[in-house]
Amino acid sequence: MMSARSLDLADLPVYSISNRAPLWWGQVMMCAIEGSMLCMLIAIYVYLRLGVDIWPSPGTQLPLLTLPALAWVPLVISTLGSYLASEAAKKDDKRGMILALALNFGMGSLFLVFRFAEWRTFNFTWSTDAHGTIVWTILFLHTFDVIADLLMTLMLLIIVASGKYGPRQRLGVHVDSVIWYFLVAIWLPLYAVIYWGPRIIGSP
Amino acid sequence: MIARTMEETRDVLSRTWSSRGGLAGWFSITTHQEIGKRYITTAFIFLLIGGIEALLMRLQLARPDNTLLSAQRYNQIFTLHGTTMMFLFAVPVMEGMGVYLVPLMLGTRNVAFPRLNAFGYWMYLMGGLFLYAGTFSNSIPDAGWFSYPPLSGPQFSPGKGLDVWGQMITYTEISAMCVAVELIVTIFKMRAPGMSLHRIPMFCWAMLVQSFMVLFAMPAVMLASTVMLVNDRTIGTHFMNPAEGGDPLLYQHVFWFFGHPEVYIIFIPALGMVSSILEANTQRGIFGYSAMVLSLVANGFIAFGLWVHHMFATGLPQIGEAYFTTASMMIGITSGVQIFCWLATLWTGRLRLTAAMHFVFGFIFIFVLGGLTGIMLASIPFDLQAHDTFFVVAHFHYVLIGGALFPLFGGFHYWFPKFNGRLLDEKLGKLTFWTLFLGFNLTFFPMHVLGLNGMTRRIYTYPAEMGWGPANLLATIGALVIALGGIFFIVNVLRSRQSGAVSDNNPWKAGTLEWEPASPPEKYNFELQPVVTGRYPLWEAPEKRAAVTGMREDRREVIVTSVMDGVPQFRMVLPGSSIWPFLTALGFGIGLAGSVVWFSWYFVASALGMFGLIGWFWPYEPGEIEP
Repeated sequence: MMSARSLDLADLPVYSISNRAPLWWGQVMMCAIEGSMLCMLIAIYVYLRLGVDIWPSPGTQLPLLTLPALAWVPLVISTLGSYLASEAAKKDDKRGMILALALNFGMGSLFLVFRFAEWRTFNFTWSTDAHGTIVWTILFLHTFDVIADLLMTLMLLIIVASGKYGPRQRLGVHVDSVIWYFLVAIWLPLYAVIYWGPRIIGSP
Repeated sequence: MIARTMEETRDVLSRTWSSRGGLAGWFSITTHQEIGKRYITTAFIFLLIGGIEALLMRLQLARPDNTLLSAQRYNQIFTLHGTTMMFLFAVPVMEGMGVYLVPLMLGTRNVAFPRLNAFGYWMYLMGGLFLYAGTFSNSIPDAGWFSYPPLSGPQFSPGKGLDVWGQMITYTEISAMCVAVELIVTIFKMRAPGMSLHRIPMFCWAMLVQSFMVLFAMPAVMLASTVMLVNDRTIGTHFMNPAEGGDPLLYQHVFWFFGHPEVYIIFIPALGMVSSILEANTQRGIFGYSAMVLSLVANGFIAFGLWVHHMFATGLPQIGEAYFTTASMMIGITSGVQIFCWLATLWTGRLRLTAAMHFVFGFIFIFVLGGLTGIMLASIPFDLQAHDTFFVVAHFHYVLIGGALFPLFGGFHYWFPKFNGRLLDEKLGKLTFWTLFLGFNLTFFPMHVLGLNGMTRRIYTYPAEMGWGPANLLATIGALVIALGGIFFIVNVLRSRQSGAVSDNNPWKAGTLEWEPASPPEKYNFELQPVVTGRYPLWEAPEKRAAVTGMREDRREVIVTSVMDGVPQFRMVLPGSSIWPFLTALGFGIGLAGSVVWFSWYFVASALGMFGLIGWFWPYEPGEIEP
């Protein structure tokens, strides 16, 4: 390579714990994939709903409102945990990261407790009728994502607590918050469709 | 720092970017050239398998009342043919070309997520092996490459063939999404300093648009095949069961929401290849760069508004169908813009008729014919007549083979010296082209006539009185000619790899960065990462060229630049080689394979996958903690 001129980049920093990091972009793309899948599930819900006159089929009770409404409390608090964790990661504050990740993980887990308790109140399964099929599918896939991300959060917590971390792991903490915000945000339309949709539109 | 000689720099770089030796090392490789080559090689093997399946079908149809294949065997073979070509050949081969070429074209050393790249390849390989493991244990799907229920449902397709089909899609789509994410981020964030948006090579634009389409289309097919179809079959959900409020048409909507963009996912990278070949062989930049880019992006959007034109015969409301007719015709405009830009490039450039250029001309000829029958099929009254006939088979082979396979072969002839350091034989390449071109038209042109004469697709035989014998025989002869072209191609590749003319860095005198390093490039691509001052860096005057200094060579450092203008933001250290992506894919693979029999194996897949991910991310070495 015969280069007449050169651009010296020796003074550039070697990492950036911010939205400029490729990993952050990668995480946003992950959200796009998950988002298009979950939005497609909403479309399927509506499609199936419009295909029948009675929804759900007689004898099936719509999912009750109390537990999922209460579950919002730990879920919203958990986002505070992920926000504080990503801020602490930017400042390289070990104690702050541990506390915030623990808050995120604890509140997320509490949300799951509410969700599993709610499932015990259902009087239908995925093989009862089309309503049962789509409701269980949405809940299963969302829960699956939530569990996967909580396990990731737990792993980050262990890594940070063990002290074996550097900028790369701190960046991990920062982008972990992105997917968590997404999972909380996407739950809003899913929640509205499952619990309020059939009560507001088309109920007798 | 003491200034190193170029020799020493190369030595350090080479050690930094090498993997360990041995078998474990081979499974740990994360360099993009190696992964790209694995994708391309594996995909070509599947092309061969899919091609043999096609030949079997053609032999069966060569004469009326033939008994070479039974009806059931024929159903299985056309299903395997379509599935193999779409999921195991066409998409992965384009991804492979992107994985190999994009980092080189952008002037960087690897993709943004090298381990994800390796993971994606292993998932793809396992999906292919899974489908054919099912095939050889007689669990063979037989409901067509799109497997419509109720035919594919539990009632009419007992056995495990359809479950294997549905789950195979999960593997390959995970792979495609991995490549999509890493290519988008690589193109956005890892371009050479100075490569602003309007300096990105056309092929990279094509891969960018394709990757975004993968992001939004592939989740739909995973829902259709894995969540809806397989669960209806294995755990009794009712997505497609009308008795319990489901609807078989729902499957078609979700499937084609993926299935139509899928065609463009295959075809858009091919457009990028055509532009690259044209630029080098006319020695000028592409005519109407901005118009080309905008057309590509528009194609990406419009492709999502076309899916119902696969469903015109299902009795949907006509006002809705009219919208999809309009969209189907609209895409003719953006495709037309590109064709005219290429013609203008040809017109104003200094044409060099290489083998690759032959394939480009073949592409324009065949693709335009396929586009014309596409416009015909976009009209609902015509579509209702031609639906599910050989006219449609002719149409989509003109579009897919003309639109994707010919450019791919052209691209392969064009980039082969970069892959291997030796040129393909030009004469044999041109012979390959003419054989394929002749064979292709001989095979598929008669199918237009057959379709208009009422021959439906997916029938395993026909009585002599229908009068379809001669045209079918012609098509079969054509298929054998295509096979001959395939043999020429394979001979050319195998021979040229060993004894072809040695290629220098830039045998075609092209302008884009992949031609700057040696052929084949070292594992680190560039000794000094380039700085870009124009759209075609290699055509710039030498005194305008520049390179990056001050990077460390003893670790895998790359430059992160801004999305819009390619301004350097920081240096980043890429992770090293690792066997964990392979192990993670293996864990997912085992669990997903089990899930076609027991739903609970999804939890096995998750547990093994999670275990793999922990190994993947765990900081083992000090370098992974403090760069």
